[in-house]
Amino acid sequence: MIRSPRWLLASAAVGAAGVGASWSFSPPERFWSNWLLWFLFFATLALGALFLVALEHLVGARWSVPLRRMPERLSSLLFLAAALGAAALLSLPVLYPWTRPEAHHDPFVVGKLHAWLNAPFFSARFVACVALWVLSYWVLVRGSLRQDATADPALTVRFRRFAPAFMAIYAVSVTLLAFDWLSSLDPAWYSDIFGVYVFAGSFLSGLAATALGAVHLLERGRLGGVRRDHLYNLGGFLFAFTVFWSYIGFAQYMLMWYADLPEEVYWYADRTGSGWQFVVLGLAVVHFVIPFFALIPREKKGEHGPLKRIAALYLLAHLLDLYWLIFPSNFKSPVFSWPEASFAIFFVSVGFLWVRRSMAMGRDAPEGDPFLKEGLEFRL
Amino acid sequence: MVTAETAAEPGGKAFAVLGLFETAEDILAAAQGLRDKGLGRLEAYTPYPVHGLDAALGHRRSPLAGMVLVMGFIGAVSAFLFQMWATGIDYPIVVGGKAPMAWQAFIPILFEVMVLFATFTAGLGMLLLMNRLPFYGHPILSSASIGKITRDRFALSLEAYGGAFDAREARAALEEAGATEVEVLPAPEPSGPWSANYLLKGFFAVGAACLVAGYATYWAVKLFPVLPPMVHMEDQPKLDPQEPSALFRDGRGMQSPPSGTVARGFLPYSPAAPEEAAGLANPLPRTEPVLDRGQKAYRTHCAVCHGVLGDGVPTLTASYGAKPANLQARAIRELSDGKIYDAIVRGKNAMPSYAPHLSVEDRWSVVHYVRVLQRAQNATDEDLERGGRP
Repeated sequence: MIRSPRWLLASAAVGAAGVGASWSFSPPERFWSNWLLWFLFFATLALGALFLVALEHLVGARWSVPLRRMPERLSSLLFLAAALGAAALLSLPVLYPWTRPEAHHDPFVVGKLHAWLNAPFFSARFVACVALWVLSYWVLVRGSLRQDATADPALTVRFRRFAPAFMAIYAVSVTLLAFDWLSSLDPAWYSDIFGVYVFAGSFLSGLAATALGAVHLLERGRLGGVRRDHLYNLGGFLFAFTVFWSYIGFAQYMLMWYADLPEEVYWYADRTGSGWQFVVLGLAVVHFVIPFFALIPREKKGEHGPLKRIAALYLLAHLLDLYWLIFPSNFKSPVFSWPEASFAIFFVSVGFLWVRRSMAMGRDAPEGDPFLKEGLEFRL
Repeated sequence: MVTAETAAEPGGKAFAVLGLFETAEDILAAAQGLRDKGLGRLEAYTPYPVHGLDAALGHRRSPLAGMVLVMGFIGAVSAFLFQMWATGIDYPIVVGGKAPMAWQAFIPILFEVMVLFATFTAGLGMLLLMNRLPFYGHPILSSASIGKITRDRFALSLEAYGGAFDAREARAALEEAGATEVEVLPAPEPSGPWSANYLLKGFFAVGAACLVAGYATYWAVKLFPVLPPMVHMEDQPKLDPQEPSALFRDGRGMQSPPSGTVARGFLPYSPAAPEEAAGLANPLPRTEPVLDRGQKAYRTHCAVCHGVLGDGVPTLTASYGAKPANLQARAIRELSDGKIYDAIVRGKNAMPSYAPHLSVEDRWSVVHYVRVLQRAQNATDEDLERGGRP
């Protein structure tokens, strides 16, 4: 059992007090926007981590076997995310215009209300997603933990059989997270590629958290046998998906900018005016420019220091991305003061506490995996 | 210690001295010592990639990565500047209502040109700089040891590279480092004019000549247009304005209408001054088809400048120097139908005459439609009580 450091508990308590004060004193849309931000942060991160696990099983990768326990542990954040999401269902009448009666008079929205955008179906979709997450976690992560003791190769076969099904589960749940929780904040707006954009952020944050955790353990002498070559692959993935995220983000923007249709561009008009232009510029810098140029040199992709700094920057950039996606729907210009700070302090502390606890799950490397030795022998 | 049979004469001109080793560890261990002696350029030949060999041979990092970065950057910047110059400065053009220098539109081409420059640099740089093409056969391929090297032996070679190269010294060094077999590779014979090496070089030369000739032809034709290129669109059987034609008796391509006739919808306009037109009454009834016709004509010809609502806010945002009239202004709301009609026919200030584009009926329909726009923007309480019905 890992003892929680006192300062982390203290900062969580301070943050909780701030969150409580925000519930009482700040407008409800502000409280719930913050809540939604942290729910989606943990959900996308945990799903991205589980995607990394399933990707290894799907393609039969060997290099990532020694690192796999890290994303497996991180994916336990799904339970935290599910709890936050269940509470976030209360935000529907506050944040989502389609729950209000006037939505029936909006020509761009009224057609979507009956079949898709209504609170019972919305909640049912979320519950179904959570059930599928728990199932995936049970098969992939619980199974892998069991394998530590039994070293049963039949489990590996089972992971590989389940991995393609998880890809479908992942695709559907990320798309639903994107369309339901984010895109329907502006119900008139639609973008087919928005799910892919959120996927890019999700995978990047899962990868970044994995890299951060792996380097952290390596620096403390755990994860023996993991070399530069393994970290290099994580760095390479981060580099590739930086470009992917930017490509998708810009493609979505440029098509809408070109077509200039009122029901599409207003989403961008809300997000590039009255102060938000600085947020989106900052997002381009921290989510693309800095990591892209920092990861170009070959050595940097596998070095502890640079990889750790870039990974931390990615998590920050993902938060900023979600902030930019969520807040402009309800706020004309950027807001940041004590409610946002309290939420950040509280949820960062809770996240660290959770991840520290999860470090007690199983061994540091999946020692029962028949491919572990081969994975450790991986060289570039 | 076995020495290969094919060793060249001691002291003869050699390309390299090749030493065979039993294991990958052996060459890694031997490489360091041989490198320090500086007898020639150290190179290794192995049946499969050996980790750590680059470092052991002391190879510097390839400059190719830096070249690719620089060329990618040049590609991106030049593509961006070129588009900016072409559509924003040299010939400012409004496409789809966007400003001539809308940077967003330049990004896809910037991206593609960057990738093009970077990949071409990487590919050609690898072939020309790293592999030293055109280069047909490497002496190692005709060595006696090539069979072993591609099967289960590891070779280190000391290659002649500038300066003096002493094959005997190199052989001794390799044997001392633990080579089980040593072979001296003779320098390749100078190839004859019909050898593959020369043919390959000739092939490259022809390619380069084609490139030069292509550019020269392009510029020659462009700068000295002796033969007009691409005349397909210029030579058309139609008659241009003011062109003679043998078809008609008077030899003119443009024929005047028969005397005493008027084109349908284009009756002559009699008032000599706008004041005279003030009293003209709109001959068309205010029916739905007429208003539809007016709306269509207005949106086609007028809305570009006067705005869809007639409020003088142009749908094209580029500046045209003159500010279009606000048709909702009191002065224009109070104009008589005839004066608006007159402005369409005669034009006003910077606005040219629209008589050639709009038939008489179109013009009067537009007048009706302008009244509709004015009424819609200046609704009274009574209008609202009637619930939008006229």
